[in-house]
Amino acid sequence: MEKIIQASELTKVYGKANEKQTEALKGISFDIEKGEFIGIMGASGSGKSTLLNILSTLDHPTKGTIRINNSDITKLKGDALADFRSREIGFIFQDFNLLENLTASENIAVPLSLQGVKPKIIQQRIKRVAERLSITHILDNYPAAISGGQKQRVAAARALITEPTILFADEPTGALDSKSAKDLLNMMDDLNTNDQVSILLVTHDPLSASYCQRILFIKDGKIHQEVKREDQSREEFYRKILVILGNLEQ
Amino acid sequence: MLWKLSLTGIKGRLKDYIVLFSGLVMASAIFYMFESMASNEAFLKSNSIISMVVFIFRFGSVLLGIITFAYILYANSFLMAMRQKDYAMFMMLGAKGRKIAQMIFIETFLVGIAATAVGSLLGIGLASGVNTLLVNQLNLQISHYAAFNLQALVVTLAFFSILFLIAAIFNARAIAKKSILALLRETSTPAQVKQRPFMLFLQTVLGICSLAVGYYMMSDLMKFQLVGIGVALVTIILGTYLVFRSVIITILSLLKRTDAIALKRLNNFTLSQLSFRIRDYTQMLSMVAMLFALALGALTVGLGFKNEIPIMAKSVAPYDLYLNNAQNASDEKVAALKPTLDVTYSLKETDDTLYYNKDQFNKNNLLSTSTNQMSIDVTYNKLSGDQLAKDITAQDQLRSYLLPEQRGKEIQVVDQTAFDTINAPESSLRMVQVKDFQASYDALHELAQTNQETNTTETADTNFSQRVFVYDTYNGLFSGFEFMGFFLGIAFLTMLASCLMFKILSGANSDIQRYTMLKKIGTRTSLLKGSIRKEIGVLFLVPGILGMIHVLFGLQMFTTLMIDPYHDLWLPFGIFIALYAIYYVVTIWLYTNIVLRPNKK
Repeated sequence: MEKIIQASELTKVYGKANEKQTEALKGISFDIEKGEFIGIMGASGSGKSTLLNILSTLDHPTKGTIRINNSDITKLKGDALADFRSREIGFIFQDFNLLENLTASENIAVPLSLQGVKPKIIQQRIKRVAERLSITHILDNYPAAISGGQKQRVAAARALITEPTILFADEPTGALDSKSAKDLLNMMDDLNTNDQVSILLVTHDPLSASYCQRILFIKDGKIHQEVKREDQSREEFYRKILVILGNLEQ
Repeated sequence: MLWKLSLTGIKGRLKDYIVLFSGLVMASAIFYMFESMASNEAFLKSNSIISMVVFIFRFGSVLLGIITFAYILYANSFLMAMRQKDYAMFMMLGAKGRKIAQMIFIETFLVGIAATAVGSLLGIGLASGVNTLLVNQLNLQISHYAAFNLQALVVTLAFFSILFLIAAIFNARAIAKKSILALLRETSTPAQVKQRPFMLFLQTVLGICSLAVGYYMMSDLMKFQLVGIGVALVTIILGTYLVFRSVIITILSLLKRTDAIALKRLNNFTLSQLSFRIRDYTQMLSMVAMLFALALGALTVGLGFKNEIPIMAKSVAPYDLYLNNAQNASDEKVAALKPTLDVTYSLKETDDTLYYNKDQFNKNNLLSTSTNQMSIDVTYNKLSGDQLAKDITAQDQLRSYLLPEQRGKEIQVVDQTAFDTINAPESSLRMVQVKDFQASYDALHELAQTNQETNTTETADTNFSQRVFVYDTYNGLFSGFEFMGFFLGIAFLTMLASCLMFKILSGANSDIQRYTMLKKIGTRTSLLKGSIRKEIGVLFLVPGILGMIHVLFGLQMFTTLMIDPYHDLWLPFGIFIALYAIYYVVTIWLYTNIVLRPNKK
């Protein structure tokens, strides 16, 4: 399999040299393969947010390298970094982060507009991704007028419209009710299975995590444990996760 | 304990507080400066030809009061936008609502009063500074102006105390009434108002028609008189408001509907921000446009009067200098002027008659002012010796160059042979024109002065033919006007631009999230900055342009008072645009610092 993300020996130290320093990441290495649905779990303060920020190029590691699609993102700066982000990475966040003064379809169009894609092609791509995510009927609505689940679908459409190398999902179900959360997770599963979208899901919710094929448990800035779902059913995997989380707390 | 927390909050946002504080200081300084003039009737009366000016200044004072009030409201909303969350957090921690309301009341009031005190002091300093500057730079003649004026100081302090008291009560009520959650979560979520296209169209038409009516009234004020001013004031304010409410919105939504524009880069975001802003800011922007027009108008008219002075002097006195009994005057000094015209006329004087040589006037015609010369390029009638010989009215032109005791005598313009036979003492009248009157002003003044001293009966007061004296008289009359125009213009501009600045900055906090989000999905910082520049640029530009159009039409009102109110428009417009641009740049800088604060790592 083709490796789309290669992280090696990631370290992150906060605080300047002469101040009190905290080490949030203490040398983390892992790979993600194309088409994988991978989860990152850990308690608050475990370093999982730091890891996600570094993977998604929003923050720089103190040491170590990350290659996404064979380019070393730790060497990118300024505009090149912004461009890389808009081309290679799709984001969905817990609080949706939609622009509330743009309609759903305008929100979805933003990343392509940024890349200078022709308006005609943008419209076609919006239509396609909206049909795929069943949000065609709400395209002209403003975010304030649609439900949380719909907002997260619009956010997903915006993330996927550039056909990124990987989709980063940061607690995407955190602000949703249980039904909307399940819908969203099924949708992500569907995208992963049928459209081969690679997904990295950061969560502390075991149910969300049970949709992943592989989970990295982070504790105190290190990978504490790695589990694979393999042939287990989702329920079996869910219970296994609960047990691991229980042990992790000890 | 709460006070300590509150002070820590202020420390954390020191930069924003400095912006707020300096804005308030400027407002009170300007108000004081204006009051120091408006409440000084001796100054006003001694510096203006029309007694109306005292009234005009009262009116200006009220206007400044209104805009200061609006200004304080916007500055206050900036303060609240900063502090609301802090105070709501204290309440969440268990502080009582009444205690918090009391705190915000005291904070608002203290900040306001401190700013007013500093501002008044600054005002006194500025007033004397501006006074000397204007007097020196513009060669103005100002009398009876004192920088320190107790009445003005009292008025300023009282007015601002009342304003801040109102603002403080307002803030305290806002905190006490709203729920903690509403305070914490209050970010201005743009309400998506669906406007019916027909209503929008109707408003657009109505807005443009109102402006047209107003402009028409101003262009023909002679016909409509005072009613015209009233109607124009109402229709232009209404028109301005409707233009922002409908015309701009229509243009923006048309742009948004054009995919080729909207789907390019961040345009859609910028356009949406703008249409949200303009809807929200309609009243504010209309006010800015109106004040812009008033301020620029005041500056233009003030400078216009300055330009008028030499032109009026020219149209009253055809020659730059004339010398009676020129045979006694210093030839070298006249030659030093490098005259473009230097003519000497001979005259012989008996007890009851003055004789001139006709041939000399036929050779070099006498220049006289023409009656219908409302133009920058002053032209003169030329009177030949033959005309002067026949026409008694024409002789009056000649008479104006005579010494007072000569004026009652009969004038005879006779030919060379007749002139030679007359047996009477001969003297000469010398007429001089130079290339640039203002450049040679000092030398001309000296010669005119000497002329006056050597011909003792000549006095400046009775003399409206000696150009330097005419110039001095007009300069004295119009300097007051110019000073007021200049002052009002700059004061209004400072206020309106800071109003706009505060309004925009108080919205900045709710924009942080939008810009952060765009940054996350991979928008280049340069694009974000570009979007900010465009958005704020339009917010500054649109009222500015509308204000300028108002002024261009409004100057029509002065066509009856001034020779050409449109002369050298670039100067006031240039000064104004430059100052306005400074505010634009400062606003962008502050706004960018708020919304694009570098990530804390």
